[in-house]
Amino acid sequence: MDKSRRRMLKGAVAAGGAATFAAGYSGPLVKMAKGVTGSAGEKPHHAIYGNALAPEYRVDLNSGELTLNPDQRTAFTICYGCTTKCGVRVRIDNNNEQVLRSIGNPYHPLSADVQLPMNTPVVDALKSVSAYHEQGLNGRSTTCARGNAMIAQITSPDRVTHCLKRVGGRGERMWERISFEQLIEEVCEGGDLFGEGQVEGLRSIHNHDELIDPENPEFGPKANQLLLMEATDYGRSAVLKRFGFNAFGTRNYGHHGSYCGLAFRMGSGALMDDLAKNAHAKPDYNKAQFALFIGTAPSQAGNPFKRQGRLLAEARSTGSLDYIVVDPGLNAAASEASGERSRWVPILPGSDTAFAMAMIQWLIEHEAYAKDYLAIPSQPAADAAGEVGHTNATHLVIESEGHPRQGHFLRLSDIGEADANSDTDDLLVVDLNGVLTPSAGVQKATLFVEREVESPDGNIRVKSSLSKLREAANEHSLATYAEQCGIEAELIQRIAKRFASYGRRAVVDTHGGMMSATGFYAAYGILMLNLLAGSFNRQGGYAVGGGKFNGTGNGPRYDLSGFPGKRGPKGIFVSRSRFAYEDSSEYKRKVAAGENPYPAKAPWRSLAPPILTEQLSSGIDGYPYKIKAVIGCMANPLYGQAGLTTTIADKLKDPANLGLYVSVDGFINETNRYADYIVPDSVMYEVWGFTGAWSGTLTKMTTACWPIVEPRQQKTADGEPVSMEMFFIATAKRLGLPGFGDNAIPGADGKLYPLNRAEDFYLRAAANIAHSGETLPNANDSDIRHSGLEPLMSKIERTLPASERGPVAYLYARGGRFEDHSNAYKDNDQLGHVWKKTLCVYNPNVGTAINSQTGERLSGTPRLQKAEMSNGQLMRDVYPEDEWPLLAFSYKSNVMNSYAIGLERLRMIKPYNPVLLHTEDAARHGIAFGDTIRIESPGGAATALALVSDGVMKGALGIEHSFGHTELGASAHDIDGEKVSGNEWVGAGVNINDLGFADPTRKVSGTWLEGVSGASIRQGLPIRISRIDA
Amino acid sequence: MDHIRRSLLGQLARLSAGAALVPLSSVASAGINDQPARREGDPSKRYGMLIDLRQCIGCQACTVSCHIENDVPMGNFRTVVSQFEVQQQDTDNMATFMLPRLCNHCENPPCVPVCPVQATFQRQDGIVVVDSDRCVGCAYCVNACPYDARFINEKTQTADKCTFCAHRLEAGLLPACVESCVGGARVIGDMRDPDSEISRLIDKHRDELMVLQPEMNTLPQVFYLGMDERFTTKPEAEPGIWDILGTNDKELGYEFDH
Repeated sequence: MDKSRRRMLKGAVAAGGAATFAAGYSGPLVKMAKGVTGSAGEKPHHAIYGNALAPEYRVDLNSGELTLNPDQRTAFTICYGCTTKCGVRVRIDNNNEQVLRSIGNPYHPLSADVQLPMNTPVVDALKSVSAYHEQGLNGRSTTCARGNAMIAQITSPDRVTHCLKRVGGRGERMWERISFEQLIEEVCEGGDLFGEGQVEGLRSIHNHDELIDPENPEFGPKANQLLLMEATDYGRSAVLKRFGFNAFGTRNYGHHGSYCGLAFRMGSGALMDDLAKNAHAKPDYNKAQFALFIGTAPSQAGNPFKRQGRLLAEARSTGSLDYIVVDPGLNAAASEASGERSRWVPILPGSDTAFAMAMIQWLIEHEAYAKDYLAIPSQPAADAAGEVGHTNATHLVIESEGHPRQGHFLRLSDIGEADANSDTDDLLVVDLNGVLTPSAGVQKATLFVEREVESPDGNIRVKSSLSKLREAANEHSLATYAEQCGIEAELIQRIAKRFASYGRRAVVDTHGGMMSATGFYAAYGILMLNLLAGSFNRQGGYAVGGGKFNGTGNGPRYDLSGFPGKRGPKGIFVSRSRFAYEDSSEYKRKVAAGENPYPAKAPWRSLAPPILTEQLSSGIDGYPYKIKAVIGCMANPLYGQAGLTTTIADKLKDPANLGLYVSVDGFINETNRYADYIVPDSVMYEVWGFTGAWSGTLTKMTTACWPIVEPRQQKTADGEPVSMEMFFIATAKRLGLPGFGDNAIPGADGKLYPLNRAEDFYLRAAANIAHSGETLPNANDSDIRHSGLEPLMSKIERTLPASERGPVAYLYARGGRFEDHSNAYKDNDQLGHVWKKTLCVYNPNVGTAINSQTGERLSGTPRLQKAEMSNGQLMRDVYPEDEWPLLAFSYKSNVMNSYAIGLERLRMIKPYNPVLLHTEDAARHGIAFGDTIRIESPGGAATALALVSDGVMKGALGIEHSFGHTELGASAHDIDGEKVSGNEWVGAGVNINDLGFADPTRKVSGTWLEGVSGASIRQGLPIRISRIDA
Repeated sequence: MDHIRRSLLGQLARLSAGAALVPLSSVASAGINDQPARREGDPSKRYGMLIDLRQCIGCQACTVSCHIENDVPMGNFRTVVSQFEVQQQDTDNMATFMLPRLCNHCENPPCVPVCPVQATFQRQDGIVVVDSDRCVGCAYCVNACPYDARFINEKTQTADKCTFCAHRLEAGLLPACVESCVGGARVIGDMRDPDSEISRLIDKHRDELMVLQPEMNTLPQVFYLGMDERFTTKPEAEPGIWDILGTNDKELGYEFDH
C-alpha cells in the first residue's frame, strides 16, 4: 500500500458499525443496574454454540467425505432480494419447513466468481464451498445482506395470504377476505361489485370486434383497454405476457423499466443499434486496466450487484484495475483501502452530457481515439482486420435540408446506382484516397468527411458520422462544459488524458445515474467513449455477455410461445410510444385542416418502448384512449416514479377514472393500496420461473426456480396455491381464451398438452432448456439427494415423459443451466460472446425521429443538452435557480432496496436515510450536521435529517433510495375487521419520488419525463431547503 | 444526535513490527500473563482471520448472515461493517472506508481473566468462547473488551459474541461471514499450518498488516490488510446519524434498542 497517502477521517457515515457495537455495549449496563442475572434467561441449544443453526452437512477434513444432515436439505433456486436475481442455495429445516439461511450457488456466475462447471456432481459442489482443503475460500459463492434478510418475507406478518376485496372507497385500507373463485367471477363478469354502480368486467373489455375509436383506428380494438403492469421479469413474465398479448390480446403491458434505468438503456440501445430491445453491456472487470464509472457504482449497487462488487474488489486489490467514479455522491466504489487505485470525482446531477461531450471533444481534438478500428466500414473488413465488429464512424449521413432521406446514411440508390432496398444497395463511404465508394470495397475509409456528392437529383450534402460527432462536441467550449457539469476543465483534461493512455483497455460504464432530464443523450455520449477507445467487444473493454437459454419460446420439446388460437396484439400503445406522431390520425387531421400539427397534445415518442411512466396517467386521462382495467403484478409505480403520486393518486381513488384494478402481490404497497382486489402471490422460494443473466456475465446462463418450500397463501378450490399463474389460468379459462386449460401447449411430438397449473408451463420450459443444443445428462440419485430435489420429482414425473425427466432433474439439481467459464474468453483479446450489430457513432433512427412537441429533429449523435420540460422550455426558465437553488438526486442503497423495508434485519443496519448535503451549501443555509431540514420541490415537500459533509457535490442534495414508504407494513390495514401491519419504523425516511412533480407544461397530465425515452426524472429535481428549528 | 452512537476512531492502530504474530509459536495452553489455562478445542490449531479491506465492499452480507446463523437478537451484532467517509489531506479527495469488526480472538484476551465464573474461556485453538451454562450475565467481560465485541443476549441473558462459527469449523465448513463475503475479503484459517491460506497471506503481507488497538496488548488475531496508517491517530470525526424521523416528522429512536 502507498504509505505516502494522507487521508483523514471526515465523518462516520450512518452504516451499521459504530452504532451497533456501541449499542451492544450500553445494554448490559442497564441490565446490571436492574440486577438481572444469567439464570433468568432462556437456555440455548448448546452451551458454547448457543442457538446457532446446526450445520447443513459435515465434511471430513481428512477424507473429504460429506455427510448430509438428515434434518435439513439444501435446494438451489433464485433470490428475489433485488433485480440481479442471483442463483442461491437455500437451507430448509425438514421438520418444520422453515427456510434457515441462504448462500450462493457455486454453479452460478452471479454468485460465484468462476462458477463450477456444470458437470461437477452436486456432492462435489457442496464440498467445494467447505473448509476441505480450504476450497471454500477461493470457491466462495455468496448471498448478500438483502438476499440473506429476504427469507423473512416468507413468514412476514405483513404478507397478503388471502384474496382481498376492498370494502369502502379505494385506498381506504379496508378489506374483506374472499375465495379465489369469487374473485375470478367478479373480475371476469363485473357488475355492481362495490355498491358504487356497475363495474365493467374483463369479459366485456375483451372485445376484438369493435375499435376503441373509429376516428382513430390506429388505437386498435377495445381489448387494448386492459393494461397489464409488473415490476420486472422475475422469471415468470412469460405467463403474464402469454395471457396479456396472446390470449386476451391487449397491446398494453408495462414494467418498471421506465422509472428504473430506461434513459440509460435507450442511450445504450442507440449506440448498439438496438432500440428495439435496448441491449447494454458491462465492463470486463477481469481484464480492464482503467474504468470510468459515471452515474453507476459497482459494489455500491447496480446489476449484477454481487458479481460486479466481487470483480471490482479483486480487480483493484490483486488485479490490474484503476478507476474513477464520477457521481454527485461519494459511494462505496471509491475505496479508501485501495488508495490511488480508485478516485471519486463529484459532478452536478443531470449534467452528464456536458462531461461526456467534453471528453469526446478532447479525445477527438488530440486524436486519442482508435483510428484503425473506427476506420473499418463493414463487417467483412472487420473480419479481415481480426476485429469482431465495427462502427458506422465512416458512414455518410445525408445532410441536405429537405432531401427525402435526410438523416439516413447515403447508399448507392441515393446516387442512382442501385435499387433501393435491394441486396446491392450498399452504404457509401469515402476511401483513403478521397473517392466515394461502396463500403464493401474497402478495408478502411476516411473518418472525417464533409462534402457534396453528385446524384441524378442534384448534389447531396453529406457528413461522416464521426464528423457529425466532432461537430456536436465542438458546439461548446471545454470551459462551457466544465461550468455545466461542475468539474474543472483541467480535471476533465486529466481524466481524458488518463482514459486515453490505457488505449483499448479503458472502459466506461454508466447506469441509473442517467435517470435525469438529459439521460438519453448522456448515456449515449458516455458510452460513445467506448467506441472512441475501441474497447467495445474487447477483453478488458465493454462486454455484452453470454445471454440466456430461452425455455419459453418455440423450443426443442414444446412450443411455449405459440398455441392454437393465439392472438397478436394490434394498435398503438396507450403510452404513445414506438409510433410516430406523424403517422397518427390526429396529425393527419391537423395537416388536412391546414393547422400546424405541433405540438401534439402530449408527447409521442417514436423511439421509446411502452412506458409505464405514461401508461397510467395517460390511460386515466384518456389520451390517446382510456384504460378501463389494470392488472398489476408486484408493480409499484406510485413509489417508484417521481411525482406520480402527486399527479394521479387522487384520480385513482375515483372508480370513474379507472373501472377495475386487480393486483397480484404478496404485499400491499403504495400502488396496490388503491386496488379493488388483491390476489395473494407466492413469494421468493415458493415460485416457479427462469431468469436470464445481466450483462457483465460473460457466459450464457439461465437460473431456475421451483417451489422449494410450499407456498403459504390460500389455495384454490382445486387445492393449488393461489398465485399469479393460477390467476391468469383461471381467468383465461373462465373467459374461454386460447392458450390456457387443456390442449394449450403444442409438443414437438405433435400433441397438445395442458396448462392448468404453473408447473405445466415451467417444467416444459425446463425441458426446452435441458434439451437446447447438447441435451443435459440425467441426474443421478446422489445429485437429487444433495440438491433437496425429492419434493420436485413427483411433479416432474406427473408432468413430463420419462425421456425428459433426467435432464430436467439435472438442471434443477444445479439451479439452472450455465455455460462453462472456459468459454468466456477467446484468443487475440477477444470475448467469447460479442455484439454483432454495427455500433453507432451516429444513429439514423434517432437522427430522423421528430420531437412531437417542437416538430424538430432529434440529434443522431450525442450533444450537450440542458434539462427541459415537455414543451421544450428549459427547466431553469420554469424553475429558476434563485428560487430552487439545489438539485436533488437519488442513489441506490448498498443495503436496502425499494421493496425490502419490511425486513427487520436490514432496518437494523440501515434504519433511515439522512440526506447528503455539502458543507458549503449547509453553511449558506445555516444548517449543521444532524439538523432537521425541510426540502421543498415544485411537487412536494419532505422533512429529513442533514448529513453534512464534503462527500456530495456542491449544489446537490443526495437521497438514498428505498425509504419513505407509506406501505409495505408502514400503515395499518383493516382486514375483516382485524388490524394488521402499521409499524411506524417501516415508514421512516424520505422518498425522492415524493419530491417529483407533474410537468406544468403538459396538457395531458404526466410527470416530468425525459424527452426521448419518457423515463422518469429523479436525478436533478429542483429543490430548496431550510432548517427546521427543533 | 444520539450520543451513544460513538464512532470507532481511536480503536485503530498500526500493528508494530508484527508483534501480534509472535505468540503463534507459544504453547497454546500455557496462558499469557494472568490468563487461565486454555481448555477444549484442537491444540494443533490456532484460528485467526485476515481481512483484506481492499476487497471489502461494505455490503453487510457478513453482518446479516452471521445474525441469522447465530440467532443474534435484533439490534445486537456479532460482526458488522462500519462505513466511514475519509478525506485526503493534500488533495481533498474523498473516499469510503469500510471496517468489518468482530471478536478479535485475542492472544491475550482481557475478557477471560475478568470472568468470575470462568464461563468465558479461550480454547486451545485460540477461539474465545462463552459457556452459557456457567455465565451469570454479569457483563464484566462486556466491559473488559476494548472492541465492543460483546453484548448480553437478551434472550439467554448471557454474554454473547463471535465464535468464529466454531460449530461450522468443527463440521468442516466455513463461518457464515466468510462464506458469504461478497468481495472475498475475509479469510479464516489455521495459522499453525504454514500451508494455509491465512499463513501464506500473513507471510506475504506481514509488514502491512494492522490490528485494532495494539497498545492494549491484547494481541488481536484478526488482521487487517489495506488499513491506512493515519488511522493510528485519533482524528476528529462526526458520528453517523442514528436519529430516525418517522411520518409527520416524529422522532422514533432506534427500533431495536435494548
